[in-house]
Amino acid sequence: MLRRLFFTLAIATSVLALNGAAWADITILVPSSSEGDGLRAAAADYSKLKGTKVEIVQAPYANVFEQGANAGATKSGVFDIILMDDPWIPFFAENGHLEDLTAYFKSAGMEGPDSDFLSKSLAICRNPYNTGPYVCLPYVGNAQMFFYDAAKYKEAGVDAPKTWDDVLKAGKALTDSGGGRYFGYVFRGGQGNPVVADFMPIFWSYGGDLFNADRTKVTIDTPEGAAAMKTFMALRDISPKGVESYNANEVGTALAAGAAASSINWPNWVATFEDPSQSKMVGKISYSTIPAGTKPGSSEIGHWTMGIMAASKNKQEAFDFTVWATSAEQIKISATRGNPPVRTSVFTDPELTSQEKFRHYPVLMEAIQASTPRPRHPKWPEIENAFGIELSKAVAGTSTPEEALKNAQDAVSRITNIY
Amino acid sequence: MLKSESGPLTAPLRPGGGLERWAERHLRVLMLAPTVLILLGLTIFPSIYMFYAAVHKISPNPDVPWDFVGPGNFVRLLSDQQFHVALLNTVVFTVSAVTAEFLLGLGLALLLDKYIRRMTFLKTVLMIPMMLPPIAVAITWKIIYEPQFGVLNEIMYRLGLPLQAWAGDVDLAMFSIIVADVWQWTPFIFLLMLAGLASLPVEPYEAAELDGASSWRQFWDLTVPFLKPVIAIALLLRVMDALRLFDLVFILTGGGPADRTKVLSLYIYQVAYRFADVGYAAAISLFVLFVTIVLSTWFMKRMRLAE
Repeated sequence: MLRRLFFTLAIATSVLALNGAAWADITILVPSSSEGDGLRAAAADYSKLKGTKVEIVQAPYANVFEQGANAGATKSGVFDIILMDDPWIPFFAENGHLEDLTAYFKSAGMEGPDSDFLSKSLAICRNPYNTGPYVCLPYVGNAQMFFYDAAKYKEAGVDAPKTWDDVLKAGKALTDSGGGRYFGYVFRGGQGNPVVADFMPIFWSYGGDLFNADRTKVTIDTPEGAAAMKTFMALRDISPKGVESYNANEVGTALAAGAAASSINWPNWVATFEDPSQSKMVGKISYSTIPAGTKPGSSEIGHWTMGIMAASKNKQEAFDFTVWATSAEQIKISATRGNPPVRTSVFTDPELTSQEKFRHYPVLMEAIQASTPRPRHPKWPEIENAFGIELSKAVAGTSTPEEALKNAQDAVSRITNIY
Repeated sequence: MLKSESGPLTAPLRPGGGLERWAERHLRVLMLAPTVLILLGLTIFPSIYMFYAAVHKISPNPDVPWDFVGPGNFVRLLSDQQFHVALLNTVVFTVSAVTAEFLLGLGLALLLDKYIRRMTFLKTVLMIPMMLPPIAVAITWKIIYEPQFGVLNEIMYRLGLPLQAWAGDVDLAMFSIIVADVWQWTPFIFLLMLAGLASLPVEPYEAAELDGASSWRQFWDLTVPFLKPVIAIALLLRVMDALRLFDLVFILTGGGPADRTKVLSLYIYQVAYRFADVGYAAAISLFVLFVTIVLSTWFMKRMRLAE
């Protein structure tokens, strides 16, 4: 009996070993969203074209960071490539989880990425920002846009909102006449990343930022911060009840359902708004860059970028795939699959821009070029959490806007040791 | 077949080689080995590792050596305001949810045991929530609570009542989470209580009837004492589970608004996985483990006293 058991075990082990040998040449960690779906489709194309086996591991947004951080901290080499949200780059790069791509470009006879990429898209892939070596390549060109129902805005006396004052004027009129079922604005107030993502573009529009230029001072509790907070609170006041728990999905759904007239959101929502099976607002939503405050408006950039894990055992194969997937041809295919591009040639390709569903491309390209990255800091997740708590308290009314700014200033100072 | 405990193996029970004889001799060890190995791998080793991690500052950079900080991570708990908030929220949730679940579960069990015993269909329906995966429950309640398109506000609107931001209102968010948890776990208490009621002896109640004791006196002097062991087990299991609350908060509120629903499990998750501060997360986890052990011991003691 025991002999039979050992024999079976031996066969099972051999089968597992054989399977192991046949496992993928490259394994990529991606989010389980449209961005990940796009790369999954590209990976299938690559496998057919080159005969390289590409395994895609999809995980929810937050889990991509966690699994990537875990793989990096344990040097497991389980992932060769990670599709990263750009604010994660300092964490991964400065903790030694990402491969410096300089040598790979050199051995391929390239100086670096070509100039067809948008400059803002390339800047985030260098660590330190825009000056250091490349640690990734941009894949999905996310930057926030301002979405609004032009007809409703016109009814409220605003043709095309250029400033936050315009948004507040139209938004207030629409909310006042909406009878509690229709709103001029819909706000993303969920604690943590959502509320910070909605506040940052307004903060920048009033000349504020979390740190001064040489990062020697935290600059949240400032007159610029107070001005931004005033507009932020006014936007909350004209938004539906319950936005204190809203994330991008709830905001997008409210707009697609025709329950709200405007909001900030990510460009991947355009596909939903223009899809009759998901939207009551097909052809009715207009797109613009972020409105101005006391300074020109600036979007938060939120690119998805492809980095090679330092512990990868297939770095050259991973580099070859990364260059292929971010080529102009592949970025165009990715765009047709719903991912915003990162290359000028794709943004301006008449074959795409002549189609109604890509009518937002000029605005999106402008938004990317006018965008600002979230403060590049390896402790960004912790900073965002602390700042998000204080913003959430202000939004929920458990602290005054002044207290929220002061407490956020203290909390970010403690985390970063910058006073 | 096992050989006798002390007697020598005079002859093999079955013909075979040396290996087979060796296996026969050590069969008990071989049978236990997988369990012991699994326990070592999944429980003992991670526990030791957690203790070790809790006294170190661990960098997310694998090339930076772990820095021994002794009780530093535990001392940090004293001044960490987010930990204090999470602890308070956990206590509020645990006390409120478990109390409501217990009272409702016991009430339902008494009702069904006394008046509608034959309605097995109703009992089955009542069981459904506890059989659902927590993540499904969380998503269901997220849809119910959605302020603009949710079922609850639609009902409120049709009844002419003011709409509420159930999971987004600072005053309602924790209540909303408690309601969802009570919906899911009251059936568990109900099931235990129903089983307890079914096992009660009949004679003391007959004697009490003869003595003219009221229903309330019978409940208080007979049912409650008889049910004490079951009550203790039910409360122990629910308290232990409530201390681990994660799914509902993660899906419904993310700990907000204004930190009102941040519980310890969510905070441990954030510290470990979002802030990559594994040593400190281990220290908080050990604190929760300590509290759970203290509570469990107290409950077990109560249970033994009841016996």
